[in-house]
Amino acid sequence: MDFFTNCGKIRFYCWDTAGQEKFGGLRDGYYIHGQCAIIMFDVTARLTYKNVPTWHRDLCRVCENIPIVLCGNKVDVKNRQVKAKQVTFHRKKNLQYYEISAKSNYNFEKPFLYLARKLAGDPNLHFVESPALAPPEVHIDLAAQQQHEAELAAAASQPLPDDDDDAFE
Amino acid sequence: MDDVEKAILISFDESGAIDSELKLQAVNFCQKIKETPSICSLCIEKLCFCKLVQVQFWCLQALQEVIRVKYGSMSLEEKNFIRKSIFCMACLEGINDKMCVVLDSPAFIKNKLSQVLVTLIYFEYPLIWSSVFVDFLPHLSKGAVVIDMFSRLLNALDDELVSMDYPRTAEEVAVAGRVKDAMRNQCVPQIVRAWYDIVSMYRNTDPETCVTVLDCMRRYVSWIDIGLIVNDAFIPLLFELILVDGLSEQLRAAAAGCVLAVVSKRMDAHSKLSLLKSLQISRVFGLVSDDNDSDLVSAIAALITGYAVEVLECSKRVNTEDAKVISMELLDEVLPTVFYVMQNCEMDAAFSIVQFLSGYVATMKTHSSLQENQMLHISQILEVIRTQIRYDPMYRNNLDMVDMIGVEEESRMLEFRKDLFVLLRNVGRVAPEVTRIFIRNSLASAISSSSDKNAEEVEAALSLLYALGETMSDEAMRVGNGLLSELVTNLLSTRFPCHSNRLVALVYLETIARYMKFIQENVQYIPLVLAAFLDERGIHHPNIYVSRRASYLFMRIVKLLKSKLVPFIETILQSLQDVVARFTSMNLASREPAGSEDGAYVFEAIGLLIGMEDVSLEKQSDYLSSLLTPLCQQVEVTLMNAKALNPDESSLQIANIQQIIVAINALSKGFSERLVTSSRPAIGHMFKQTLDVLLQILVVFPKVEPLRTKVLSFIHRMVDTLGASVFPYLPKALEQLLAESEPKEMVGFLLLLNQLICKFSTLVRDILEEVFPTIAGRVFSAIQRVVDSSVTETNTEEIRELQELQKTLYTFLHVIATHDLSSVFLSPRSRDYLTSIMQLLLHTSCHHKDIVTRKACVQIFIKLIKDWCAKSSGEEKVPGFKSFIIETFATNCCLYSVLDKSFEFGDANTLVLFGEIVLAQKVMYEKFGDDFLVHFVSKGFPSPQNLAEQYCQKLKGNDIKALRSYYQSLIEHLRVQQNGSLVFR
Repeated sequence: MDFFTNCGKIRFYCWDTAGQEKFGGLRDGYYIHGQCAIIMFDVTARLTYKNVPTWHRDLCRVCENIPIVLCGNKVDVKNRQVKAKQVTFHRKKNLQYYEISAKSNYNFEKPFLYLARKLAGDPNLHFVESPALAPPEVHIDLAAQQQHEAELAAAASQPLPDDDDDAFE
Repeated sequence: MDDVEKAILISFDESGAIDSELKLQAVNFCQKIKETPSICSLCIEKLCFCKLVQVQFWCLQALQEVIRVKYGSMSLEEKNFIRKSIFCMACLEGINDKMCVVLDSPAFIKNKLSQVLVTLIYFEYPLIWSSVFVDFLPHLSKGAVVIDMFSRLLNALDDELVSMDYPRTAEEVAVAGRVKDAMRNQCVPQIVRAWYDIVSMYRNTDPETCVTVLDCMRRYVSWIDIGLIVNDAFIPLLFELILVDGLSEQLRAAAAGCVLAVVSKRMDAHSKLSLLKSLQISRVFGLVSDDNDSDLVSAIAALITGYAVEVLECSKRVNTEDAKVISMELLDEVLPTVFYVMQNCEMDAAFSIVQFLSGYVATMKTHSSLQENQMLHISQILEVIRTQIRYDPMYRNNLDMVDMIGVEEESRMLEFRKDLFVLLRNVGRVAPEVTRIFIRNSLASAISSSSDKNAEEVEAALSLLYALGETMSDEAMRVGNGLLSELVTNLLSTRFPCHSNRLVALVYLETIARYMKFIQENVQYIPLVLAAFLDERGIHHPNIYVSRRASYLFMRIVKLLKSKLVPFIETILQSLQDVVARFTSMNLASREPAGSEDGAYVFEAIGLLIGMEDVSLEKQSDYLSSLLTPLCQQVEVTLMNAKALNPDESSLQIANIQQIIVAINALSKGFSERLVTSSRPAIGHMFKQTLDVLLQILVVFPKVEPLRTKVLSFIHRMVDTLGASVFPYLPKALEQLLAESEPKEMVGFLLLLNQLICKFSTLVRDILEEVFPTIAGRVFSAIQRVVDSSVTETNTEEIRELQELQKTLYTFLHVIATHDLSSVFLSPRSRDYLTSIMQLLLHTSCHHKDIVTRKACVQIFIKLIKDWCAKSSGEEKVPGFKSFIIETFATNCCLYSVLDKSFEFGDANTLVLFGEIVLAQKVMYEKFGDDFLVHFVSKGFPSPQNLAEQYCQKLKGNDIKALRSYYQSLIEHLRVQQNGSLVFR
């Protein structure tokens, strides 16, 4: 997924790892080269929030000290089960938290902006144009599908080249 | 590299360079290997020799999985082999005389190794492998690498098994209990001793290792014997680490973390109190003032706030006087630093300022009078509230422009302030005077603050004042003591330098409006209030959001102060001239593209003012015509040129007319019916002229729905204002409105008729007779569509609209019947629909799912029976009606529908419906006598005879209540008798 920042393009190679454990995949092996992560839960299903610590632990076992964003998804749904106030895990673990709605694209870029800033070490970095998303309908479908399959996704990006000039074309 | 290693590398590849088919093959290959019996020895061998991290990781993962899933079926030798090998790897021992390299690998490999160890511990400690911890300890002397590995093992044990931060199964909880018990008995003292020795030994040479050890120890404090830490050796060591300048910050912070864990440990309140006292926490207070951003300061801040929470908790739980005194002393000691931390340091996320302060304020409620230091603390708390609710100046532009960031920050703050204002309310209760003085001073200091933050300071101070107002009763505000009037005077007389700021301007106006009850009693402030709302601080504020809100608040104020504003009307109108001119002038371009409701509040306010009877007739008509004439003229001009307009111009003009109607509508609200009809008919005449003009809109733009809606609501208003003198306008208006017959429009039309009938009852008979046949024709054909489509349910929105129409129709028919207008149904042109109406009412009264609607229909029948049926058996007024009622309505509605089990006597609405049904029987008996009774009884009560007799008795009696309860018991009796048979259906 490409984003265009004031310092140039940044590309996130996103790995949706949730659900893999059931199919004998690499499980936490996927995290090995992860440089940042998004832990996502579903605010309409309490259990998914309860499982956040476990995902976080399993991630940190492999990736110590990478930037992590916690996302509460489906905030567009009226009948939430996890209220914003009840979300406290990120404070204990010093994560960034965002409420998002993949369906309506609400805040969808926020986690990526946070991660981009952390990875670039530039708190003032900002996006200059919309990312090249798939057309909206498709995007929503994809998002819905992801939600359907997995409450939670950890995204790991491919290493950026060491040279800053190359990192941001 | 062998095949296994190759396959692992391929399956772990994430460059995307590898063909997906090959990758899948590799994954499957690895999976197969995992299922071979020799997998464990293969993994251990690879771990010993292979330096590829992917291979090491895969092997550890496989081992962990095999142990977890197949432990029960593994052979003893295999278990021994694994245990021995893994342990050797972890403490840097050779396996079969060969050194294993795992500890040279990156952290995630070592973590994975720890996980494997913990999985073994899960199954084997303490019964099978009791010595795991004890055996490890001697190896710690090998140095940092093994100490690091040991710490990882203990951390993993906490994460994977002990810590309650993760969801655990009952079995896991049981195992965790077993492991903890065994460790407490067997090795915890030795482990703590090792920690102590390591930190003492390495504090200067290897602070990183010390941090690792302390961070690990912090996790264990909650469940190990606290005496192992709280003693003459460890606590002094920890404080020494914290306090000695020159040590690494991380080490000092880690030591503070351990003390915080000690402080937070759950224990009996009295023991906790002595522990807290013994720590002499004031030693660390000085550290928070050094440099506010460092890790050390954050850790110390967390320690101090955590300590304060515990002291406060103790003060609530201890039960001896001595202990209470001690806890209050400790609290007094720590609070000043807590306040400092709250305002100057990055707060520990686990600490809730509001929760803590609310807890503290709650303890004060029990004291009769506050001591001096408590007063001081109260001021500090207020200061904290003020600091917390203050916006960051970095958002100033965003908030002013209301961009995305601004909107987000504003809503965040709104949410955030809620709890803080609850706290403010509690503080205000405990110390009202201090709170008011504080707010007064905040306001004063905010004004004089430097321009780079004055907007935020002023906004915060005003918000406090507003919040204070929220907590005051109307009575308290009316009485208003000295300080309150000073506050309001300050508020009104102060010119804030940052008034152009949107948020400042908004909260300023809201606050004035909040204190209106006070101003009502202190009229000398009225000129100041008016100035604030009328000049560039209010309605003339350059920011549209402010001026809109100002218009609304101004209208509210006018409503409240109306009679006291008479002397100011001229001034007010003058000030609003330009706003009004935006509507009255023909210059469309000068008008901002605003919503159609904009300006409504200004006109409503003006209407309220000039509509008062205290205004002389001459002035009143001058004012009113100066507004109505130009507005009407604009409409007239537009209507005249309508045909020549192109679509673009046309839509602009339509929007324009909409705004004008809304404005006139709002304006008219201030004029009472009495004034315009009896005391000052000249005023009424002006509104009639206006109505004439606006009705033309329906002729020229018959199809423009928003315009129709606006005109319709104006007619509603004029019915209210002009009273019966509106009649001459109605025929034409109704004719135009009837031109459109969509269900939605018909609903609006019926509502207007309902208003007319309710207001004028029989006076509208002629009008109603004129339109009724058309309405009946339209509505019945529309409703038929509901019936037809109920099978298919294709277009739900249309169905919904039709159901709405049906519902409105029942109200309409009900209103007609209950206002002595039933003759309308009998007029020659309406007569054709009579049967349809009767059938609809009958069906609805028996079967509609909404009980209230059923009741309305029964009431209509009662009224019709009364209206149409004479007592004497002379000529029938409505031929066939009597027999319809006796033979159909009486049996179907009054008997069968009630007998149905769905008729719930337990439901309140249903009981009311039942009351009406009983009343209907009474009325039928009164009108039809035995004609009704004989038929009803013969249909209803076949046997035994005495039931029918009793019924007749009750019916003939005068006690409707007795009839009701008898009929209910009769129905219940019949239901039992009916018992599934189809006698009645």
